[in-house]
Formats: sequence, C-alpha cells, structure tokens
Amino acid sequence: MFRTTITGLLAHRLRLLLTSLAIILGVGFIAGTFVLTDTIDAGFSQSFTAAADKIDVAVISKGDEDPLPPSLLAKVGSVAGVKDAQPVVSGEAPLIGKDGKTVGELVTAGVSFPSYRLDVTSGKAPASDGEALVDTSTARAQGFRIGDTVSVLDQKNVRHEFRLVGTFDVGVDQSLAARGAVAYTPATAMRMTGATGYAEIDVTTAGPSRESLRTAVAAVAGSGAKVQTGEERAADLAASNGASTDYLKVGLLMFGFVALLVAGLVIYNTFGILVAQRMRELALLRCIGATRRQVFGSIVLESAIVGLVSSILGLAAGLGMGWLAVFLLGTYQPDVEVPTGTVTLSPQTIVIGLATGLIMTVVAALLPARQATKVAPVAALRTQTEEHTFRAGVVRIIFAVLFGLAAAGLTYAGVTAKPDETALMTVMAGGVLAFFTVLILGPVLVTPLSGLAGWLPGRLFGVPGRLATENSRRNPKRSATTTIALTIGVTLMTFMAVLTATMRATADHELDSQFPADYRVAAQTGDVPHTVAEALRGHPELATVAEFREAEGKLDDEDYPIGTVTSSVLETAMRPKATSGSADGFKPGTVMIADYVAEHLKIKVGDDVRVGTAKKATPLRVVAILDSQSLLPSITVPEQFFDERFGKTDDNQILITAADGADLDKARAIVDDATQPYPAVKVTSSTEIRGQFDEAINGILSVITGLLGLAIVISLLGIANTLSLSVHERTRESALLRALGLKRGQLRGMLTVEALILGLVGALVGTVLGIVYGWAATTTISESVSFRLPVGQIALFIAASGLAGVLAAVLPARRAARTSIVGSLASD
Amino acid sequence: MTTITSVRSAVTAQGLTKVYGTGDAAVHALRGIDVGFATEAFTAIMGPSGSGKSTLMHCLAGLDSVTDGHVTIGDVEITRLNDKRLTLLRRDRVGFIFQAFNLLPTLTAEQNIRLPLQIAGRQADQALFDRVIDTVGLRDRLRHKPSQLSGGQQQRVAVARALISKPQVIFADEPTGNLDSRSGAEVLSFLRTSVRELGQTIVMVTHDPVAASYADRVVFLRDGLLVRELEQPTPQTVLDTLVALEA
Ligand SMILES: Nc1ncnc2c1ncn2[C@@H]1O[C@H](COP(=O)(O)OP(=O)(O)OP(=O)(O)O)[C@@H](O)[C@H]1O
Ligand SMILES: [Mg+2]
Repeated sequence: MFRTTITGLLAHRLRLLLTSLAIILGVGFIAGTFVLTDTIDAGFSQSFTAAADKIDVAVISKGDEDPLPPSLLAKVGSVAGVKDAQPVVSGEAPLIGKDGKTVGELVTAGVSFPSYRLDVTSGKAPASDGEALVDTSTARAQGFRIGDTVSVLDQKNVRHEFRLVGTFDVGVDQSLAARGAVAYTPATAMRMTGATGYAEIDVTTAGPSRESLRTAVAAVAGSGAKVQTGEERAADLAASNGASTDYLKVGLLMFGFVALLVAGLVIYNTFGILVAQRMRELALLRCIGATRRQVFGSIVLESAIVGLVSSILGLAAGLGMGWLAVFLLGTYQPDVEVPTGTVTLSPQTIVIGLATGLIMTVVAALLPARQATKVAPVAALRTQTEEHTFRAGVVRIIFAVLFGLAAAGLTYAGVTAKPDETALMTVMAGGVLAFFTVLILGPVLVTPLSGLAGWLPGRLFGVPGRLATENSRRNPKRSATTTIALTIGVTLMTFMAVLTATMRATADHELDSQFPADYRVAAQTGDVPHTVAEALRGHPELATVAEFREAEGKLDDEDYPIGTVTSSVLETAMRPKATSGSADGFKPGTVMIADYVAEHLKIKVGDDVRVGTAKKATPLRVVAILDSQSLLPSITVPEQFFDERFGKTDDNQILITAADGADLDKARAIVDDATQPYPAVKVTSSTEIRGQFDEAINGILSVITGLLGLAIVISLLGIANTLSLSVHERTRESALLRALGLKRGQLRGMLTVEALILGLVGALVGTVLGIVYGWAATTTISESVSFRLPVGQIALFIAASGLAGVLAAVLPARRAARTSIVGSLASD
Repeated sequence: MTTITSVRSAVTAQGLTKVYGTGDAAVHALRGIDVGFATEAFTAIMGPSGSGKSTLMHCLAGLDSVTDGHVTIGDVEITRLNDKRLTLLRRDRVGFIFQAFNLLPTLTAEQNIRLPLQIAGRQADQALFDRVIDTVGLRDRLRHKPSQLSGGQQQRVAVARALISKPQVIFADEPTGNLDSRSGAEVLSFLRTSVRELGQTIVMVTHDPVAASYADRVVFLRDGLLVRELEQPTPQTVLDTLVALEA
C-alpha cells in the first residue's frame, strides 16, 4: 500500500504542486512571523546586554514622579567598592527647529547619560554647561551640524542657546527615538527639564562582584529606589521590549491563521477532488482486496507526505519572508530603531511550522479520506462516471438554521446593546457563526449565485459563457469550497474597508460639528500667551477667535480644572453637544459640565453646584451636561466669572475660523504671524488634521490589505487548482466540444468565464458578509457613527476578485486548449 | 485529376499517409490511401483491429493531422487548413457520432442536440428539428440529462445532434459498439433513413458485419491499406470478405 501511495503521489505531483504552494505560503507566513520577531527580540537583548556590560549596578527611581534625590549620588559614590557613580537625567525640553518652532509633534526629550552609555556618532560628549548633543535622526532631519547653535526652551518657555558639539544614537530606546532627544551635562539637563532628581544612577565596580555591590548600594539607596545588577536591568528592559514584539507577533499570527484556514480549505478541496477522480482506481484496489482501512490510510499517508514536504519548504519560505521583512524595516523605516540580530530559524519556529503545516494538511484530508473508504468495489466496473448531483440534506438544513439563528441572535444583541467592547465581541461572535452558516449553506447558495454572476458573461460570450455557468454549478460542493476560500479574504477586506470608511466619516463629522474651526493654536508646552489672541483680533479675514482657558479649581470641594471659552463664540460657531439640558441657557450664574464629571459626582441639569477656588466658591446652576467628545472644558463657566476668580490667565488653546470668502492664505499668514514670536506655540489647520488622520487610516488599511492579500493569493491558488483538476476531469468533454467546432479560444474563454464566475461568487458573498458585519461593528463603537459604505473600494474588491479568478484560469485554460482532440477522445 | 474525384464525392482522400512516432518506434497507421465517399450515400469502413479505421476517420474529419496526402471535404482541401479554419470547417460542415461519451453531461438532450448550431451561432430549422426529433423518437425525452437516458437513447441524441446542422458529411466511429442489437438496429436504421430521406452523407466505422450491411457500400482496410470494396453488402457477403481478409 505504501508503494502505491508513493507512485500515486509521483504521478499526481503536478496536481499537488498548487496544493503544496498553499501550504508553503501559510506555513511560510507563520514561520516568517516568528523569524521576524525572534530577530528583533535577539537584537533587543543584544543591545541591552551590550549596554548592561558597562554598568555593574543601577539604582533606578520608582517612577518619573519621584526621581532619585541628587544627594543620593554622593552617598552611592562613597559606598565601598564603588569605582564610579554617575547620574542619568531624563525629562522634556523642547528643541527649536530651523523654522523657529519647536521640533516634532512630541516634546523633545532632554537627557544626560554617563559618557560610557552615550553612543556618540560624531563629535564628542558634552563637557560643559553650554554644550549639547542632538540625536542623529533629529540632527539629520533638521540639518543641524556640529558647531551650530541650537535653541531649547526650558520649563518656563525661556530660550537657551547651546553649542552643538556632536550627535548621538538613541539606540533601542523607542521613547527617545519617537520624541527626539538632546543630551546635556547632568546639571544642565536638570535645569532645562526642571527635573528635581535623577532617573537612574549607574555604578561601576572597583573590584567587588556585582551581586555584593548591589547589596551594599541597596543599603544606602533606601526604599525609594530599585537597585539592580547590570544583567537584571538588561533582562528587564529586554522583557519590556519583548512585550511590544508580542503584540506584533500576535497581530501577524492572526493573519497567518487566516491564511492557514484558507490553505486548509484549499487542501480539503484538492483531496476531495483527487479522491473523486480516483474513484475507479480506488475501487479497483478494493476489488483486488484492499481493505477500507488501507484505502483510508493511503490517503492520509499521502496528505502527511504532502504536508511534511510542503511545511519544510514553508520553513524555508518563512526564513526568506522574515529576512525580507527585517530588510524592509531597516531600509524603509530608518526612524524606527529596530535592532536586528542575525536572522535564524529557532528550533521553536521549526517545530511550530512543521506541526501546523502537517496537522492542518492531515486534518483537511480526513474527510476526503473517509469519503474514499465509501467507494464500492463495483464502481471499478462502471464505465460512465456519474455526475455529482447534490441535494441539500436535512442535517445540513438543520445545522444551517441553527447556526443562522444563533448568528442572527448574537448580531442583533450586539447591535442593539450599548456600544462597548462586549457588544463588539458579541457582534464578532455573530460574524463567525454567520460565516459558518455560509460555509454550511455554500453548496446550496452557489447554484443561484453562479447563475447571477454568470448572467452577463452568458449574454456576452454566447455558448462558452453559458457552458461555463453550467460547469460552475455542476458540482456545487466543490465550487462552494473553492469560492468560500476567497470569501474569507474578501469578507475581512470589506469589513476593514467599511470600518475605516465609517471611522473616517465619523471623525470628519465630529470635526465638523465640534471643531468648526479652520485653525487651532496651542502650545507644545505650557500655555498660549494672551498676546497671541489679542494679535488675532480685529482682522476681517478671521471670523471667530475662540480662547479656551483652564485653571485649577474646585467643584463641590473636589479638585477639578475649571475652564471657560470666549462667550461670544458659543452662540455662533462653537455649538457644543449636550447630552441633557442645552447650551442655550448658558449665562452668568450658570455652568456646563461634561458628562463623565456629572456621572462621577451625580450631577443633573438644574442642580446647583459650588464652583470656584479653595478660598471662594459660588453656587452655579447647571444648565447643560456636555457630551464628553465636546471640545469645551469639562467644567465650563462664563468668561466673566472665570476672570473674577482666576484672573486673566493665558490660553489653553485658541480656535479660529476664517471669514466666509476670506483669502485662506492671508488668514493663515495672520495666524502664523501672531504665533511667530513664541516657538512653542504651534498652528494646526483642520485640513492638516484631516489629512493626518486620513493618512494614518490609509496606512493601517493598506498594511491590513497587504497582509490579507496572502489569504487571497492562497484562495486563488485554490481556484487554479480546482479548475485544473476539473479540466483534467473533463478532458473528453473538451475534446468533444472541440470536435463539434468550438474554437481553441472559445474553449479557453469557457474556462476563463468559469473562473470569473467562481471569483465573483466568492467576492459577492464576501462583500455582503463584510458590509453587514462592518456595519454591525460600527454600531458597537459609539452611538453617533456616520455609517459610510466605501462603494468604490468594494466595487474594486469585486472586480479584482473576478480578475484574479481570470488570472487563476490562465494555465488550466491553456492546458485544456492545447490537448489534442483525438488523443483525448481515445483516452479512457 | 484521377477518376475518383470525378465521382460526386463528399469526401476524398489521396495518398493519405499517417505515421505515429519516429524512428524505430514509428507506426505506419495509414500507408497511402485513395478513397472517395459519395454524397447522399451511407459508407461503412471495416477491417481488423489495428488496421487504421479510426485513424482514417480522424484524418478525414480533420481531427488529426496527416503525415502525407490530401483530404478534401466538398471543395475544400482540409490538409492545408490551420487549426482555426479547420475548427470552423468542422463546425459548419461535419457531424460526429462517437462510440461513447457523445454528450455533455451538464446539458439536457435538447440542449445537446442544439449545441453545434449554438456554437456556430446559427438558428435551427424548426421543421427539420421536429422531423429529426420525431424520427428518432425523442420528443418526450428532450428535457432529460444524459445520465437519465439509456445508452441507445444517448446515441440517438447524438445522431440527432449530428443531423440537425445538415453537415456535408457525418462521421460515426462504431456508433453501435456499446449497444445491444435492438438499440443498435434502431440507430442504424435511423442512419439509413436519414441518408435516403434527408439526403445525408454518412461514413461509419464498424466491426459488426450486420451494422455494415445497413450501408450502401463497404470499404475494407488492412494494415493501413484499402484492400477491398463491396457494393450493396449483406451480412453474409461482409463476413465472407472479412474471413478472406484475415486469411
Ligand atoms: N496515438 C497513437 N500513437 C501511436 N500509434 C497509434 C496511435 N493511434 C493509433 N496508433 C496505431 O495505429 C494503428 C491504427 O490504429 P487505429 O486506432 O486506427 O486502428 P482501428 O482500426 O481503429 O482499430 P480498432 O478496431 O481496434 O479500433 C494501430 O497499430 C495503432 O496501434
Ligand atoms: Mg478504432
């Protein structure tokens, strides 16, 4: 039996090639994920180990809030056995760029490291208070050179100038890489960042072991600090970064799982077809004495061999994919510092890759193998192979109804529930059940659907078109499994498209209703000086200039920031959304409160609350509870009341709208001019915000689409596979058609249209599922979503699926058209 | 040219040679055959197994390429045509009946019958259709799929399909090979009727002397050569000729 299996495999190696490819891709993706994350992890631990090498003992503050007192440095330095103790300072100090504004979205970090920890890439470490280093990528982006003078704002927004003496590499510190960093001497760093102590004290040993030195240092450090050896510190840091690669791993593995699921369907289908085609061969084996168990075993063995060989190739593919990903990360994302060790296949990856590939292949082949055992020996004697008629069995219908009802119930519950994570999970569970319903009903659905999808081709391409439609429905089970593999990918893509389109529309809508401004002026650190607002007033180009101010205050004896907004704009542009009450009644003696504050303090509209400072609080009547997404301060009092209590404070932010018909360039210039003297005060326009948001969404969508692309490719392999197996099965039929006068091109066209129909059916089901569940998911995000159907994108998915089906048909169709008529007619 | 073409022939072959393979493995299936098949006549091709009957038919019908020689259908020399022109010629001028697997399993009997016309984009002559259907007695079976028809009925559908497009010639390769004698007789008499009444030209390959006796003329092949002819055959004369050939 073993030998028969092997010869059978060799005979069908071409037919199994596409199946193998599906497994190779699936396993390759999973293995590639591990290779990538292993490589990054290895890179992190290498870097941390390298860093730890230089530090023997580290004293670390318990948090940014309570740094190590500066006095501790001397105490630690005087511990017996300590050769050297140096401070690490870490805080924020905005760096001013070439444009006169603070650099970047996030406030630049101000740091100081012991010289042996500072990875100086050019120049030298800071030696005096007037010297500073800028991190390499910021220096490159800003065009700073050694010898330049750079300006940095301190905590009071006072500008200080430094001589740039070098650049340094922030290494694997993700936070510094994101923010950008300037390195100073410890004293300057503390002065600039306003830090009152050290983040860390690094100790080197004069001789004692790290362990004993740690104990000695811990004795003086007290309970306010954590004391670790260099190794412990490195392990901790590597672990916390490992946690971030865990997210990457889990995320990627989810896509890998989808790809494997699709590959499983392809394998299931292939073995199903191979068994069907070998009915007579199997029956012959049974005739000459093979037991059912032997037949079953031979199919399972076949799948195991295919699975094993493909998984091994998949591991190789994974190594390649992992290497490619590492390479791409290094090449195209120089800002994200990703350390990379050498790319290797760890034993764990090998075991996981082989196991998933092998198990999935064998499991997928079990049902077809069972089918094979049902072949009656007498089938060997029948000449005409029977057509596979399909009737929806009672069991199938019952299961479909059960799953369908459960899916509908869960979905309904999720959609009608209060929007939160549980609702989303409920909807997703409903979605999975709905998918199973479609899976069960597939063979029933595929006949009418292919009629629908084949309607136009049938009109356009005449006989070949109509024959193709017939062919696509002649074996509903096979067609259903083929198309459902594509459905998975298309469903997820449509789902994501609907979700992101809706999120974008909702965000736009919210921006429109709650941020009815053209420009926003805010400071990167601190407040916007009052003079900015004054400079903005009185220009005909600007319709409204709304100042938002906040100060620490008290609400019913609890600490809360109290805020106000320029009163004149409340009636006009700024229309805050109230969940109860109305902003219309906002006048002296009243207050508006954000819903989360109101909920916390159990405040209703009409209540009187006491608002003010610790010294003096006044009762105010609550006229509106504001939607938490409103831009207004969470406790908004009338402007005059605010001024009386808190004085003329600087602005938190200023929202500006341009006058109707005003020259927008001019308006922007006025705003820029007003903010120009203040480096930390930056202007953003709503179009910029929208653009950034759109860019972010598009980025996410294209990454996800790319990752789902793999599942789509695998399902296309499935279509190509089914088609070529069908072509093989219908060799005589094709020969007959050719004898009757069907041209080669028409025969090719017939198969192409069949593939087109399969692709369209898969895409149709996928888009319907994706739209329904995309919609259902959006209802669980918040009450007020503006649902948006990305019609263009979805049409593109459908068209692309059809086109992909056509591509999948190229090779099988060519083969069918090439075979000789006489030879095929004669073949048994 | 020669005398053969001067007879009103639907199909003629001159010096037809077919060699399969090359070198030592070469099989000379046809070794230079000159033959003509008269219009509105029913001709049978007979011969021992392996004598080249099927090969001859495939070459005559343009299903297979020839090694040497000429084949003419009507006034077209098909040995000069490329694949596409050949396909169109088959579509418009030639009908086929095979021993088995004549019908597309996905189509009903009626759809199978109309298939050649539909491929050609032509309309069926409704009167002819009715007449063919009634003669073959398939009226109540038109909506059935092939798997729901008996072997004899399937062959009758195939015959009807071949007739419906009024081809210049119908080639039949052992059309009754898989049928019992009664169904076979039905199909054969129907073929003869279509020659007599519809003026159809039919060339049939067969092993069966009784089947051959339905024809107007029988040509005998041996080892790729045309060796004997019989006009107005009876089962007995055919059998005698075969026995003589085997000897
Ligand atoms: N494709 C092929 N390749 C090689 N040789 C072939 C091929 N087809 C037929 N032959 C050979 O050509 C010769 C004639 O074959 P053909 O099929 O025409 O015989 P036949 O008279 O139809 O026989 P039968 O009565 O058994 O059907 C035989 O010797 C056969 O082995
Ligand atoms: Mg033959």
